[in-house]
Amino acid sequence: MTTAKTSPPLAIKNLSKAFQGQWALRGVDLELRAGEVHALVGQNGSGKSTLIKILAGYHQPEPGGEATCFGEPFHLGSSDAAREANLHFIHQDLAIIDQLSVAENLALGQRYGLKFWLSPRRERKAAQALFASYGLPIDAGVPLRTLGAAQRTMTAMVRALGHADSPTGILVLDEPTASLSDEESQRLFELVRSVRDKGGSVLYVTHRLHEVFDLADRVTVLRDGRRVATEPVSRLDHDALVELIIGRRLEEFYPEPPAARDDSALTAKGVSGRVARDVSLTVHAGEIVGISGLTGSGVEEILHLMFGSSPRTSGTVEVRDGTTVGASPSQSVRAGVAFSPADRQRLGGMGAWSLRENLTLPRLLPRGPLRWLSPRRERAEATEWLQRFDVVPTNAEATFSSLSGGNQQKVVIARWLRRGAGVYFFEEPTAGVDVGAKRAIYEALSRVAADGAGVLVASCDAEEIASICDRVLVMRSGRIAKELSGDALTPDRVLAYSVGSGDPVRHQGPGGRA
Amino acid sequence: MNASAPPSTKAKGSAQPSGAEPRTSAKQALREGNPQGMVEVLARLRLGRFSGLFLWAAIIVVFAIWVPDTFLTSTTLKSILSTQAITGVLAIAVLFPLAVGAFDLSAAQNMGLSALVCGSLMTHGPHLSPATAIVLTIAMSMAIGAFNGILVAGIGISSFIATLGTSSLLLATGAVIGHGSYVGPFPESFASLTDKEVLGIPIVAIYLLVFATLSWYVLARTPIGRRAYATGANADAARLAGVRTGRSVFGGMVVCGFGAGIAGVMLASSTNAVNETLGPAYLLPAYAAAFLGSTQLVPGRFNVWGTVLAIYLLGTGVSGLQLVGGSLWVTDYFNGVALIGAVGTAVLIDKYRGRREKARTAKQNDE
Repeated sequence: MTTAKTSPPLAIKNLSKAFQGQWALRGVDLELRAGEVHALVGQNGSGKSTLIKILAGYHQPEPGGEATCFGEPFHLGSSDAAREANLHFIHQDLAIIDQLSVAENLALGQRYGLKFWLSPRRERKAAQALFASYGLPIDAGVPLRTLGAAQRTMTAMVRALGHADSPTGILVLDEPTASLSDEESQRLFELVRSVRDKGGSVLYVTHRLHEVFDLADRVTVLRDGRRVATEPVSRLDHDALVELIIGRRLEEFYPEPPAARDDSALTAKGVSGRVARDVSLTVHAGEIVGISGLTGSGVEEILHLMFGSSPRTSGTVEVRDGTTVGASPSQSVRAGVAFSPADRQRLGGMGAWSLRENLTLPRLLPRGPLRWLSPRRERAEATEWLQRFDVVPTNAEATFSSLSGGNQQKVVIARWLRRGAGVYFFEEPTAGVDVGAKRAIYEALSRVAADGAGVLVASCDAEEIASICDRVLVMRSGRIAKELSGDALTPDRVLAYSVGSGDPVRHQGPGGRA
Repeated sequence: MNASAPPSTKAKGSAQPSGAEPRTSAKQALREGNPQGMVEVLARLRLGRFSGLFLWAAIIVVFAIWVPDTFLTSTTLKSILSTQAITGVLAIAVLFPLAVGAFDLSAAQNMGLSALVCGSLMTHGPHLSPATAIVLTIAMSMAIGAFNGILVAGIGISSFIATLGTSSLLLATGAVIGHGSYVGPFPESFASLTDKEVLGIPIVAIYLLVFATLSWYVLARTPIGRRAYATGANADAARLAGVRTGRSVFGGMVVCGFGAGIAGVMLASSTNAVNETLGPAYLLPAYAAAFLGSTQLVPGRFNVWGTVLAIYLLGTGVSGLQLVGGSLWVTDYFNGVALIGAVGTAVLIDKYRGRREKARTAKQNDE
């Protein structure tokens, strides 16, 4: 039993994972000590989520990696082993059920055993006692949907941890503050600290660097699937951490003010949604503007909000002639906005439909709704477009889902060029696209802009966005944190501003942004 | 970075490799009651576009050998043509909601009520002329369709539930109008609408042909139809392509009401005496034909001519069995077996293929 006390709660050695020949993780070591909050940070695609998913048993690691839990061997890549080892996961979607009461949600996490009669009264009392042991003022009797985001997260945490006096488990928190306000985050941090103070161990995955400094004792940085460093937080400052994350030194620079222009193709004012807050931007005719940021910063949402496919809570969007757009997707399309979404499989086209039908859908040739639609004429026209974009195959009757990602993207772009628009929205235009197709897509984007349309590209790929855009807006925590253009526009800076550095605003406090 | 899945606002952490076909599992499709999902599952049967024609021929051959004296007669042919015409019109009517991804379970009840109302308008109260009665009846049936459309496209109730509710409302309305007794007989000119023959073909079969041709034109050869199918195939993607999906759904429901009204008038005219109980028996045959039809001619899509083929395939089987000596329940039995058989086989094949593919990919990963 002596080993159980001296051995760390969790030690991982030489963990690797490859997806389709690409390393997501390479030889990563991680040691989690008793009574510490250990932060895990890195850019999108650095391997954080892969690591968490292997711990939770969603992915199998490559052979060669090993792990121990309090000195006992721990089988990676099995959800049963994770449960036995007392690993508890709080993911962004909390796996709690809105329709049930708080107490019922807590009870779901425990074993019902061989009880025939579930006593709601007893369940509720036990839940209330559990909350009390953490000092949480949550009423166990109310339906869960009446709770705020922070209390929901805490409910999920309390459910995962069980009773506070015996925190033998390891708590893994994956971006828990993504949807919380600063005040709510602070309350969550208090709970995390109380878990640590009672001897529990917490692995804390986050994009937000100030949280690392607020909360964590040690931090492990991943970059391109490798562990770059594991350091006590006290030995790092903000800039040092950013440099570890992006792997390069940051240079100072002085941005030049952009020239004033009056030929706006699209103007958005104060657009807010689920994550995005008060986003205002202008796209000029002939300009390619990028929006970048980390996952969860609002970059995935902003185009949908402007196009009208996600509900806006406030803000207006206007196109060149002053028409407001975004009431609904069809209204935006008619006002001359084209949108190529990131999720091609689900939103880009009809998987079971032919390329011909997918291409022609936004603009069906006959003018009247009941006029003759000639498949033969459509086929001839579609084939022409497919040839122009080098889509393989050029067979207009092939199904959309049978194409590779790059070819699907070309079809979606061709469909909108055929329709014609004053503003083009592209969301992750080259995600899952091979190199050759990427080039063709970039060429199409610049041709569209050269023809006088405004182009707005939202992408998490800093490299890409810095190379194809005239101007880039970097989003952080739902807001536009920085605008970069000209010489200041480099992938490093896009990344640096995405994770939150180089901006004096960070000194105003956690997540605070005027 | 490109290896990671593109972020999306709605799909939670989808790690689907691009280029892979997202498969609706048969079970899931059936549980969600999503017609398009079911059709995609049925399409995986890969029956062959014309297998229905062969099956039809086989059924004819079997009965021609079994009961040659009664089956191979023009009387039988005409009886099949005319008895299936009303079901056929209703089956084509339900194609419109199915095309936009909704069910109209009140269609048969709407048809039954239309027959009753049409008959009552001519025989009770003002004793309207057949033409006026028909126009009023069809206006009513379209209004019922519009009511369904508001429930489904406007309020956003699941079409399954909403039209089930409407169906019950119509049943009650029928009972109020009909008082449980038969209405009829009708004026001679009304009955003669359906008992004539043109070039030896029963005129009701020609009505079906005309209705089918118009429906095919609208669904398969106009922008309106293309947008309707887009709504049913993937409503989210259709919306992003600028299709007003709500309008498509509403329109589909109204057209279904229109078709149900026509079928109701044909039913009243050909039976010459109607009561409130006639409708429900037509619901299953209509849906059976629509689903079987979606495996034919244009597989994977609810289509008009496939449905017409399925109607006559089922009708031939039923009449053959009746001639062999089956009772009236043979009809229901045959339709039920055909529907469960077709969908059930599709689900089983889907399961089997899924397991085999899993085994194959697992093997490849090991290598």
